[in-house]
Amino acid sequence: MSPVRVTWRRTLGMARSLYSNAIATAGFFAGAAALFAFNLESLEGGRVHLAAVWTVSVAPLLPVLAALYGMDSWSDERRSGRVDMLLSAPVRERDLALGKFLGVWTMTLLAAAVFHIVSLVSLAALSPRLLSDASPFAFLPGFVALALQSALWSAVAVWASALFRHAAAAACATIALLSALPRGLWLAILAWAPQGRISFGEMPLDAQAFDMASGVVSSGTVISYLILTGVALFAASKAVASVRLVGRGARGMRFSTLVAVALSFVLAGLSIALAVRLDAKFDAPLGGPGGLRFSARTRNILEEAHGEITVTAFLSRKDARFRPVGHFLRALGREAESVGGVRVNLRYVDPKWDLGAAERLIRMGVEEDSLVFERGRRMTWISLRDGYGERICASAVLRVAMPPQRRSVYWTTGHGECSFEAYGNWGMSDIARDLMSDGYRNVALDLTGDAQVPSDCALVVVAGAKSEFSRVETGRLENYLRQGGRLLVLLNSVDAGGVATMLAGWGIRPTAAALSGVRTLSGTDVIVSEFSGHAIAAPLRGSQIVLERPVAFLPSAAADAGVGADRIEFSPLATAGGACVAAVTERGAGAGDDLEIRPTRIVAVGDVGFVMNGQLAARANANRDFFLNCVAYLSGTDAVTEAGTEADRLVSGMDRQRRVRFILVTSVAFPAAVFLVMVLMVAGRRRRE
Amino acid sequence: MFEVKNLAFTYRSRPVLRDVSFVVSPGETVCVVGANGAGKTTLLRILATLAVPDYGSVRMDGQDAFAHPIAYRRQLGYMQETPALYEDMTVRGYLEYRANLKGEPERRIRRRVGEAAEMCQVADLMKKPIRTLSAGLKKRVALADAVLLRPRLLLLDDFLAGLDAGLRSASGAILSSVAAFSSVIVTGHELPDLAKWATRFLVLRDGVVASTVQAAGADAAALVARVEKEISGGAK
Repeated sequence: MSPVRVTWRRTLGMARSLYSNAIATAGFFAGAAALFAFNLESLEGGRVHLAAVWTVSVAPLLPVLAALYGMDSWSDERRSGRVDMLLSAPVRERDLALGKFLGVWTMTLLAAAVFHIVSLVSLAALSPRLLSDASPFAFLPGFVALALQSALWSAVAVWASALFRHAAAAACATIALLSALPRGLWLAILAWAPQGRISFGEMPLDAQAFDMASGVVSSGTVISYLILTGVALFAASKAVASVRLVGRGARGMRFSTLVAVALSFVLAGLSIALAVRLDAKFDAPLGGPGGLRFSARTRNILEEAHGEITVTAFLSRKDARFRPVGHFLRALGREAESVGGVRVNLRYVDPKWDLGAAERLIRMGVEEDSLVFERGRRMTWISLRDGYGERICASAVLRVAMPPQRRSVYWTTGHGECSFEAYGNWGMSDIARDLMSDGYRNVALDLTGDAQVPSDCALVVVAGAKSEFSRVETGRLENYLRQGGRLLVLLNSVDAGGVATMLAGWGIRPTAAALSGVRTLSGTDVIVSEFSGHAIAAPLRGSQIVLERPVAFLPSAAADAGVGADRIEFSPLATAGGACVAAVTERGAGAGDDLEIRPTRIVAVGDVGFVMNGQLAARANANRDFFLNCVAYLSGTDAVTEAGTEADRLVSGMDRQRRVRFILVTSVAFPAAVFLVMVLMVAGRRRRE
Repeated sequence: MFEVKNLAFTYRSRPVLRDVSFVVSPGETVCVVGANGAGKTTLLRILATLAVPDYGSVRMDGQDAFAHPIAYRRQLGYMQETPALYEDMTVRGYLEYRANLKGEPERRIRRRVGEAAEMCQVADLMKKPIRTLSAGLKKRVALADAVLLRPRLLLLDDFLAGLDAGLRSASGAILSSVAAFSSVIVTGHELPDLAKWATRFLVLRDGVVASTVQAAGADAAALVARVEKEISGGAK
């Protein structure tokens, strides 16, 4: 049996008789489960993979676990004097260090694997839909990422243990080096320069785990972890060897050891720099939630846009967004190929390395950190500061591939409406920017003067009017609607500045909501997950929107009255607690194609705050998609946003009670059971002895 | 042939060993004696490659111990003053673990462990956890570990310390049987016991080999008296 294997087995054997490991394991399970439950709730409805959420819930706790498992690996041997017996045996120090490392690593991975099984079994029992579409291999990349990271953490823990005689000191040093220092630095960077988040993206350690869990495998990251683990092991073996370096005669050897370790770090730094510079990324061929899926709207756009588009990622390769952007663009290219539409060519231009290409882009007026979409002589670019999501990129493709067409969305003003130009939490600048990305122009509409609703108006938005519309204004709106106008009304009260009266004439009667048994997150909001089969709402099935104290709607007397072109049809869009909280009416829909009558369409949503900046930033849900679908439907665009399948979105469907049950099982009951079993095992062993 | 030449060791600017040289022939049992702080344990730690000397050489059949440490340690058995064992293991488990660690082939381990246990009289303790053993029995287990692979050089630090008269006598018998295949270097203060089976005494004083006393053929009491005299300063 090789010395490495012997030491590995001994390390595992020692671990079984330590109470500290019972505390560490139970603490890890409790912490990881709590973090997992928190992440599940905060990312509910978001376009994020369950595997990635699970991985980033476990990743921050692994350094602590490895530190606690590894703290005794050498400290205990040194304290007890057994290190002399080990070092007088015919074994190389590196074999001993490697054996110890493998023992600590094995325990760390075992703990992660057990937590994986328990958390997913609990989740499968309480939220079967979340796992129903998951591929059996979906969690593999995330687990590989955790294995890579925990290898490094374990090696550093063994190294620290060899340096310190006291286990607690070794654990503190490891946690400080692996967890407190990088996270503290990260927080300091953000506190010092909040724009750091834009430059660096997420916390690098978490971001690397997240990327890999999402199926983006970066050769630079993998090589970096392997190199750092090797260097930490080298340093650990030198630290073990230095135990014998006492006395004056060893001074030279001590110095040469220090130089060797320092040089190894320098060499590792250079190797990592080279690996990151030559970074190659590939998608893990796992299918299922590991890959990106695109909405029907994006697929439509890619299918209708023919020819060839060049997409250039104009950003530094060191940028944290480089990897996810590359992953996303490659997925976009594959999707375009699969629908047989436009061909997407990808290019990467690093502003600091590809100077010629960078100069060309800058001359064209393109800023750094952007994506450039080019087709022939047409070009458009989007700044990564504004995001690079599916909808934004699809819109960019639309702009360069389709004939230019700009529609205007008019927002009424003067009645206390929310402004599309306001950037605060109560403003709507975010959703307005989304509309601009989709090719709309946002214009303020003041109906008090002589102005009618302009002829280029795609739709009018009344976003939470508080004061009365004058008769003149109401008349102008009515006139616009009678000519086939489109109106989107977001209500913050039943009366809503007199708009209610006008809506009643068009088939919609706002009423105080009497909701029963609704699901809620804060007590005042309402989670809406029941969507009708209407074109606006059907694609959102399986996702949810959150409304704050919504107004409900009933069909008024005008609804379903009239014949032919004058018939007004009322359709509920979304219901919660038995009440319709969003509705649409259409006049002239069944008039016949040959009459060429533009139907009047009105959508009413029982809340105005659901697309305010603060609400959109706070939670990941389908609010944005719902609003954009309303706009698309009203403006006559056929391609609406699809919220995606369950595999695309994180929809647990768990209510508060189930969440509490999940937390109780995974974060309290299971860790307590593990703690009890491990303590009994250790006590049993000691009693037998 | 085991040869120590011009060995010197300084710890925190205090010279512990100065120009120590001696040779140990196969089958010889050399007792290194001296007052507390004379450098006995340090000498043994250097011979076990657990400390690096300032200068000087340690050679086994001409092969330098610090240039080829793994090959040297394969021929070495070392027992420290206070045995540090894995308390959670049984005696058999510990000895098998040590044999594995020392690279003994799997097929020979059971036999080696059995022989060492028999030799050190711990065969009937094999299933007992080490935690439950007395200090004297733990020393025997440590000795079994040291002789496990029949080393050519056995280093025993303060071998008889803390043992009662019965155990000291039994340990002496064990040592005599070990000497059949090993050169033994042992340190200690129990001169009457050591005199029974030592072939030579090396007296360390202030870090140097003050004198060498041959034990063969000498009267035990006279030998002890002479060694004691050498330890305490010779002329005094």
